[in-house]
Parts: sequence; C-alpha cells; structure tokens
Amino acid sequence: MNVNLFLLIAFCIALLFILFLVTKLRRVRGQLSIIEEALEDIKSGNLNRRMLTKKNDMTRKICYGINDIAMNSQTQLIKQKQSEQAYKRLMTSISHDVKTPLASLVGYLEAIECKIVAGEEKDEYVHVAFEKADYLKHFVENLFEWVKLDSGEQIFHFEVLDLNELSRNIIVDWISVLENSNFDYVFDIPETEYLMRIDANAYSRILNNLLQNALIHSKGSKISFHIFENDLQAKITMTDNGKGISPDHLPHIFERMYQCDQSRSAGGNGLGLSIVKELVAAHKGTITVDSTPDRGTTFTLLLPKSL
Amino acid sequence: MSKYVIETKNLTKQYGTQKSVADLNIHVKQGRIYGLLGRNGAGKTTTMKMLLGLTQPTSGEVTIWGQPLRTNEKKLLPRIGYLIESPGFYPNLTATENLRIFATLRGVPSRNAIKNALDLVGLPYKDKKLFSQYSLGMKQRLAIALAIMHDPELLILDEPINGLDPIGIAEVRSFIRDLCTERGKTILISSHILSEIALLADDIGIIDHGALLEEESLAELEAKSSRHIRFTVSSTTQAARILERNFHETQFTIQDDYKMRLHNLGIPVGEIVTAFVENGLTVSEAYVCEESLEDYFKRVTGGEGIA
Repeated sequence: MNVNLFLLIAFCIALLFILFLVTKLRRVRGQLSIIEEALEDIKSGNLNRRMLTKKNDMTRKICYGINDIAMNSQTQLIKQKQSEQAYKRLMTSISHDVKTPLASLVGYLEAIECKIVAGEEKDEYVHVAFEKADYLKHFVENLFEWVKLDSGEQIFHFEVLDLNELSRNIIVDWISVLENSNFDYVFDIPETEYLMRIDANAYSRILNNLLQNALIHSKGSKISFHIFENDLQAKITMTDNGKGISPDHLPHIFERMYQCDQSRSAGGNGLGLSIVKELVAAHKGTITVDSTPDRGTTFTLLLPKSL
Repeated sequence: MSKYVIETKNLTKQYGTQKSVADLNIHVKQGRIYGLLGRNGAGKTTTMKMLLGLTQPTSGEVTIWGQPLRTNEKKLLPRIGYLIESPGFYPNLTATENLRIFATLRGVPSRNAIKNALDLVGLPYKDKKLFSQYSLGMKQRLAIALAIMHDPELLILDEPINGLDPIGIAEVRSFIRDLCTERGKTILISSHILSEIALLADDIGIIDHGALLEEESLAELEAKSSRHIRFTVSSTTQAARILERNFHETQFTIQDDYKMRLHNLGIPVGEIVTAFVENGLTVSEAYVCEESLEDYFKRVTGGEGIA
C-alpha cells in the first residue's frame, strides 16, 4: 500500500518533470527558429535585423552576441558608404568649382582672340582673365595640398621654434593687406620667448588661412588676434566682428568643400578651413569655432607645448 | 527582398460614410526618412495605425518588407518601433522602471538596451524622478526611447516633436537624422509642419483629406522649387563674360557648353536676353523657375497651404 502510493507520487513527479522539460524544449525550439530566420535575413545582407530576447531565455547570450556582430558590421558598412558618398560629392563640387570660373575665363580670352574688344577694354579683359586663372591655380594647389594631407602623405618638419616670434613674422605681412581692406586690427602677442615644436610652414598656413577667411567672408571691420600661453599649451584666438556664421552652418565649416554661401559667389573654395583642421591635428592641437550671427566669429586654436 | 520597406495598395479606412483614408499608395524606401505631410485631420495617424495593425483597414493592403502585414503581424511587428499618441507608462514608476517592464514583455537586443535608449534621447539612467513628475517634453523623449529601445529596423513616428521646446526639437531632429544616416534605419515620420519635414525627410508624401496628392523625393522637390533662370545659349563662355561685364553678376553655374543657370532673379530676363543677342549669341531657351517649396505645397493642397 505504502509502496504503491510512493510509486504513484514518484510517477506524478516524473510526469511533471517531463512536462516541464517538454515545454522548455518547445520554447527553446521556438527561439531557435526565430534565430534561424533572423540569421538568414542577416546573411542576405540585412544588418539592421536584431534578435529580441527576454530575461530568462536560454538563447539570450547567443542573441546578444549575434546582435553585436550585426551591429558592428553595420557600423563599418555605413562608414564605408559615407566615405564613398563624400568622395562623390567632392568630385561633383570640384567639377563645379572648376567649370564655372574656367568657362568665364575662356569667355574673356575668346573675346580678346576674336577682337571683340580693343584698347583699354582689352587690357582690362586680360587682367580679369589673369585673375581668374590665378584663382584656378590657387584652387588646384589647395586641392592637392588637401588631398596630400587627407591621405597622410604630407611630411612635416617639426623644429623647436619661438611661437611668438614666428607669429609676429607671419602677421607683419598681413598688416598692409588689412589696411588696404579697411580692417582695424589688434594683435596681442607676448614679448617673451615661447619655445615649442612646430612646423613653421604648416603654422603660417594655419594663420594665413584663418586671416584670409576673415577677410573674405566675415564682412566685418575688425580682427583681433591674441596668444595666451602657459606651461602646457598655447591658446591662440582670432576674432572678427563680422556677420557671423549661422548655427546651421557652424558644425560643418571644417568639412571639405563646405561653403556657407550656396551660390559660391563670394570667392574661396571650401578647402581653407579643412586644411587648417588637418594641419592643427598634425600638431596634436584642436581648433574650435564660436559664432554669433551679426556679432562675429572666434576661432580658438590650442597647441600643446610638447608634441 | 522587396524594393520597399513599406508599400500600401489602395489602403482605405472608412468611418461610416466618411473616408478618412482613401486609396492610399505610399512607398517607403530602405534606409531613408519618409515624411508624411498633411494638415490636422488629413489622415496621417489613421494611416500609421493601419501600418501597425492597430486599426484594420476597410480595404486595401499593407506590405512590410515584402510580406503582407495581415497574418504576419507576430513576425513583423517586433521589428518595428513606433510612437503613436502616448504609450501607457505607469505614473508611479521611474523612466528606467517603465522601460524595464516593456523590456521584459517584448525582449531586447542587448544587455544595455535600456541605458542606450535613454542616453540617446538625453534622459538620465536610473534617475529617481517618477514619470508623473516629468514635463511634457521629457514624457515625449521617454516615448521615443521606448520606440527605439529594441533597435528596430523601421521606425514609425507620429508627430515626434510634439510638446518639445525649440532646443528639444533640434535635438530630436538630429538624432532621428543620425538613426538614419549612422545606423541605416528606415524611418516614417508624420508632421503638419512643412519646414520640419523639409529639414528631415528624404522622401515626402503629401496627404490631404485622406488622399495622397504627391509623393516625391526632397531633392526632386527642391530642384523643382529652386529659384533660378535657366538659359540655353550658343556659347556659355561668352554668356558668362557678358553677365560679368554687363550685369556684374557672378552667381551663375555653367553646366556644359550650352546650358547654364543664373541664381539671381533680380535682373529682368528680357535685358539679359537682349544683351546676349546683341553680343551675337543665340538664345534658344530662357526659363524662370521661382516657385518656393511653400508655394508648391500651397498649389498641391489647393491653395490653403500647410503651416
């Protein structure tokens, strides 16, 4: 009697246990079929597919792992696509930036060639054509410089130099240009010596591009230039009081070929600031911009003393 | 795999005698943001509800990833994230606790899903603040966090910027943009604000009184609505010279030897054509395009506009 009861209980427990295992098995099988389907989808190229899993699922870790792999591949694929697109955009804008000035340059030369103009007007045409050719020359030079920087082929010559002395030498050449363009200026460069490792050519390129930029685009009347130094780094700020840059454009101004003026009529080629950024990065420094529309723009350059 | 992520065929929803959505055929492409633009009551929300199976269509069909939604809901819906009206959050729980409930119910793709989602919308993780103490903007952010928590391939967002302040709108806009460009998600978004859609969407569907009036990519729309004068002349090089000399105009782009565009509409076309002809050019086309995006929408929706 006792034995029978015991057997019955044991049987019931075993039955319950089997039932439990069967349901568990069915659950896992269900999950596996979901995983299988998702894997098939991922394999066929849908890297956005994720497997959702709940806290007590046995397959949880596998799902997390596969999701991670899909997500990482997706990120890489997108990066690759973006750089392809950027390259295409670059080619389109180059073709535009060269085509239009080149066409009008040819227009002037044709007019001279076909004797449509004579005398003083002809001289003026030659002058305009020359200016346009010069613009194209600069554009192509800039472009090559940028390509060289972007592909890491530029070789830098770092020397220990006095930043203050170097800055003064660069700025001196700008004074007459600024005066001719009716710009007021304030240059505040410490009298002391500040030695740091720097590539003189690259540094002058940085300052020249920033000043050139303010001169062409800011439409302001004043430029101030300050250098602040401490034991760790030099901070260089350049501020204009011009029209500023709207918040829509501001995050993009260091991108290659980005021009705030969509009609591209103001001159410039959208390369200056992206070159600056690359050159600053080569010095392990940073450049940031701050701008208030109608109040002006400040570029802040931080260069570490020791590379 | 189907070309479109979402495709509807003659989707119709009728309440009594009123058709709130009538014969709608929309096509949402993979990896793009589709903006459904329409005035209040145009049928945007009803359409989205039918896409999610929350409302049964009177007639017509919804296809998602090439599979009919009906009968495949269980397979398809977990891959979609959505925000329609406000989800039912518990007022006496915190944001993290609310999301945890949904995570337990629906499953998540990774260990840090809740934290990632909250980070993305800029809400603190494990904050003590209860949902009932949240501002309207924060509630909206939490609703978006819920929509993206399971890293879905497709997002359906009904007026996601409702209740947000201007800074919040800019933030949400930029992260929706990022979800598409950085993570390759497909997004369907609705709004009654033209400028919002124009800033965000790649493709636009204009819906009015339940019917789709127009479906086009933003690029096509912008090309249609950009303000310029198109010229076809016998020589663009000479035309460029004449524009510069006679009109002091530099805002033009040369497309090829015969085609060019002038971006300044300030000069009467007649004068330009006369100047071209006087200089021995043949003008075979001069066409003024000056409809703004706003004008275009006004025309499409029958004069009342969308604002």
